[in-house]
Amino acid sequence: MSTMVAGAAFAADLLSGPRPAEWKELREAAEARLAGRELPTMHEEDWKYLDLKPLAALRFGPAPKVAADISGRLLPEMVGTRQVFVNGRHASHASCTSAVPAGVRFFPLSAASEACHALGSVGAGDPRNLFEDLNAARFEDGAVILVPKNMKAALPLHLLFITSAEAPVAVFPRLLVVLERGSELELVEEHHGEGAYLTAPVIEIRVAEGAVLRHERVQRDSMEAFHLGTLRAEVAKGGQYHSRTLSFGARLSRQQPWLRLAEGVEASLDGLALLDGTQVADTHSFIHHAEPHSQSHQLHKCIVDGRARAIFNGQIRVAPRAQGTDAKQQSRNLLLSETARVDTKPQLEIYADDVKCSHGAAVGQLDPEELFYMQSRGLNADDARNLLTYGFAADVIAHVPVASLRRALRQLVMARTQASTLGDLS
Amino acid sequence: MLSIKNLTASINGTPVLKGIDLEIKAGEIHAIMGPNGSGKSTLGKVLAGHPAYEVTGGEVLFEGQNLFEMEADARARAGIFMGFQHPIEVPGVSNASFLRLAYNKKAEAEGRDELDPLEFDDFIHEKIKVVAMREEFLDRSLNEGFSGGEKKRNEILQMAVLEPKLAILDELDSGLDIDALRVLGDAVNKLQRADRALLIITHFPRILETIQPQFVHVLSGGRILKSSGKELAVELEERGYDWVMEEAAAGGAR
Ligand SMILES: Nc1ncnc2c1ncn2[C@@H]1O[C@H](COP(=O)(O)OP(=O)(O)O)[C@@H](O)[C@H]1O
Ligand SMILES: [Mg+2]
Repeated sequence: MSTMVAGAAFAADLLSGPRPAEWKELREAAEARLAGRELPTMHEEDWKYLDLKPLAALRFGPAPKVAADISGRLLPEMVGTRQVFVNGRHASHASCTSAVPAGVRFFPLSAASEACHALGSVGAGDPRNLFEDLNAARFEDGAVILVPKNMKAALPLHLLFITSAEAPVAVFPRLLVVLERGSELELVEEHHGEGAYLTAPVIEIRVAEGAVLRHERVQRDSMEAFHLGTLRAEVAKGGQYHSRTLSFGARLSRQQPWLRLAEGVEASLDGLALLDGTQVADTHSFIHHAEPHSQSHQLHKCIVDGRARAIFNGQIRVAPRAQGTDAKQQSRNLLLSETARVDTKPQLEIYADDVKCSHGAAVGQLDPEELFYMQSRGLNADDARNLLTYGFAADVIAHVPVASLRRALRQLVMARTQASTLGDLS
Repeated sequence: MLSIKNLTASINGTPVLKGIDLEIKAGEIHAIMGPNGSGKSTLGKVLAGHPAYEVTGGEVLFEGQNLFEMEADARARAGIFMGFQHPIEVPGVSNASFLRLAYNKKAEAEGRDELDPLEFDDFIHEKIKVVAMREEFLDRSLNEGFSGGEKKRNEILQMAVLEPKLAILDELDSGLDIDALRVLGDAVNKLQRADRALLIITHFPRILETIQPQFVHVLSGGRILKSSGKELAVELEERGYDWVMEEAAAGGAR
């Protein structure tokens, strides 16, 4: 076993195991693209700030079958609408779909027959990143959600992806969400884990005309984990896609959301990353306003402490025919230590003339005027700082629709911002 | 209660307060009036302990204690409250939880029992009636998206919750319509007691019709040019500030 695996070997290594039988075409195409491909280096513009050498230095084996420990992970609103995947495999004993609204289909890929021809098709034609291809080549299982025409799902659905590893393993979670015309769904997607591992999820989403998807994403991977995720969503005319990605865990993470918006679409793509120690979190988003009169709102917040590092690259493209586009992007970053670092970059490509696009980026410390306001009400300097830091983050989760999740996230944010001593802040 | 002697202070090296003397006793209501830029807010912030203002001379005693030996939060817990001219918005922190936190920090300092969320709920529901605030404002983020008037209402709610010994209210009337001004003025009057004092900072005399001071001081160029009874406010309303400055300039070669 070599201690240092070169980039090309990195992919080859992960591909050395047997190829699962299903989805042959998808896998072959991915493998073909992967042949000879190297891990991206910081010489590539898209990976300029993210150093993958720590990833290359590890060797990831296949994930063993283990039992799921989901105690403490269940949310009361969704106990009967949950699918659990452990180490990339469906955990049927840990899952429960008894309360899934009639008509909504929510099942593991391994149980799929027809209906999933859409797999791998969202964003087709766009170049695939290495991790997306690795996922396509080697995913073992995943979840499928189908919401029929005009159905407004009465309960949210819960997806838990759990990874548990003693030696480094690689897992490739997969998710396909298809909302038919006029349907509506709330979806909570969570990633948890322990040990050192690589998880490279691929999420594909199709929102048909007039359909509405609200997507909460919680990344609580282990502090030794590498999370390299891709999300692709195509939203058809008059549809809505709203997502919020909350990142707490992982030693190194990268989220790559990719959205294509048709006419009159409303989309939001919010993010929060809480980083400490030597964590690195990168968000590279791409929003394509392909047709007229769509709106996108993006608020990305990072709180960076210790020697941690946050990277944000928000690309927005407005196609020549996408007149009347309204795109807003905000990147706001709070640095809590002198060694913390943020690199943030908007990337607007506007090819239409009648558009409203705004973007802003702020990197800094807490506002002294806000601190004084808190102190003038009797809070000491530490409490004031912690409360404001909590507020900076809590602002993003204030509108999480599932109450128990919102509470849990607040607790987590309180713990991570040293605000727990301030009592109940909900 | 508050004794200010020859106080001078500057911001970013620029002197703003150039020798203020002021005595405020328990039970009294004082008004500081003056043109824009005269240093009124600076005086309030220096008393409240804003770290950006440098005290360059003089002394301030609050109940016999040297104010400048206390940080802003200690002053607040000791009973000084400043209602801000421009209250700060704090997203992500609910108004109710902030009020409870502030209340409990003060209670803790005074050795009183802290209130848990349920107890505080009852307590705060009585208080919001005093300032005629709608309940929904408790659940919203602190001042976030509040109108100018709503922010001022919230300042007085905080005052009602914290029950300070000395309240300094900076331009309470800015952003308020007549009705809201009356409601908040009445609320402030109700909170006034023999063991408390008020310092009303205002550019416009209007608010002094509701909150009637016994003493009115005109501040200009960082100095108190004239001190008198409440009739001075009426005169300022009619004649503006210029005559006070001219008078001071004429007799001013101290
Ligand atoms: N942060 C600051 N930096 C520089 N100058 C300031 C600052 N704050 C106030 N000043 C100056 O101090 C003077 C007094 O301001 P202020 O106390 O706000 O006046 P008032 O409240 O009477 O209108 C003004 O000339 C103002 O420009
Ligand atoms: Mg002022």
